[in-house]
Amino acid sequence: MTAPIAPGAAQEARDYLADVDRELADLPAEERAALLEDLEAHLAALAEEGDDCPIVIRLGSPAAYAEELRAAAGLPVQGSVRPSPRRDEVRRLLARVEAHPVTGEVRRLWAELRPAWWVLRGYLLIALPCALADQWDFPVPAPLGSRVLGLLLVPAAIAGSVALGRRQLTPSATRLLTVGGSVLALLSFVVAVGGTSSPSYDVGYATPVVYDQAVGEYPLVSRYGPVTDVLPYAADGTPLEDVLLYDQDGRPLQVGLQEWWADGCSRVLRQPLAADGVPVPHAFPQTYVLDPAGGGFADPALCDAAAGRPEVSLPIFPATAAPATATPTAAAPAAPAAPTGAAGD
Amino acid sequence: MDASQLLKGVLDVAVLAVVRQSDGYGYDVVRRLRTAGLEGVGDASVYGTLRRLYQAGALTSYVVPSDEGPHRKYYAINDRGRSVLEDSGKTWRTFVDAVDGLLDGAPA
Repeated sequence: MTAPIAPGAAQEARDYLADVDRELADLPAEERAALLEDLEAHLAALAEEGDDCPIVIRLGSPAAYAEELRAAAGLPVQGSVRPSPRRDEVRRLLARVEAHPVTGEVRRLWAELRPAWWVLRGYLLIALPCALADQWDFPVPAPLGSRVLGLLLVPAAIAGSVALGRRQLTPSATRLLTVGGSVLALLSFVVAVGGTSSPSYDVGYATPVVYDQAVGEYPLVSRYGPVTDVLPYAADGTPLEDVLLYDQDGRPLQVGLQEWWADGCSRVLRQPLAADGVPVPHAFPQTYVLDPAGGGFADPALCDAAAGRPEVSLPIFPATAAPATATPTAAAPAAPAAPTGAAGD
Repeated sequence: MDASQLLKGVLDVAVLAVVRQSDGYGYDVVRRLRTAGLEGVGDASVYGTLRRLYQAGALTSYVVPSDEGPHRKYYAINDRGRSVLEDSGKTWRTFVDAVDGLLDGAPA
């Protein structure tokens, strides 16, 4: 006589019971418990009959059932919020989706794929932080720069993840795990997608590679192209020589070499020398002199011995010193002095 | 006319009458009412009515353990229930006779 009750039907009954319970929420607990106990027994009796008629067809919607129950039992009509019929509609739609064979198929497939997710989850747990910290040698994460450590940690994480997946957890732990897994998957996806476009970050900056000293063909690049010299001025407009420049981390700044000159003359770089005779590449301005060996397209005789500082317009600071106004013109004649002197060596 | 409107008024009488024949649990009462011809009776209405009659002291209840499923709560009629049924029955008959007379009599 006791026909085995399909799990879907049991779930349907539980949902129905919970829905009616919600509809009766405003009643005294004792009254409510008694009514629900009756309903539970009734649903069990209906289930034993083993026909496939859905509960909502047999008994009406939970809201309608509760209303009829109240009316017959002489209980007050629900005073609190009346649930909208739309909510019922949505619930019924969800129930229909739930009951659809495709839903069952998807659920089965998901159940079969769960071990694969456990493995992926363990891998991502190690790989994601490494990818974020750029400690990454695809596909092996290298925590703290060590691939060996990565090769040890990944299997450990996978083993832990699988063990966790096999265990029966409390509902709250399961929820936590689901949320954590979703965040992990989402972040990994973002990193994976973002990673393919990361090279574009380098455009417009000097070099992405960090050296103790900025070196390379063009270590400094402005929007106009490689920077080949820096011409410092004091606030009062005095052109400065032998100014040492460092970047934000204290690394000496170095510029690229200028190879092409507008006048077609060939010049070579004479960097300022330190006391021990070693060139100081981050002392500015750098000094270019005419190539003693000639070269270039123009007749060396026609070349300016010194490439002077270009005209610049300087801002006028609040007057602390008198010569501020004279600066723009003073800049040009002062500049050639150094190169000419250097040209002599 | 919608029978469910009529049912509401006479459900007390019907339920008491069913339980007077023999004790019954909720679903059992529903089935017996339907078998008797009151097909439109709603499950919730029967459960609600049983509950109300029980609280009014017209029915007593007892639980029968079941091996096959949940325990069943049986309802039995008591003296108070019988007297309620008797009164309600008289009212019902008077009412039915009056309506019958109206229906049978030629439109005056």
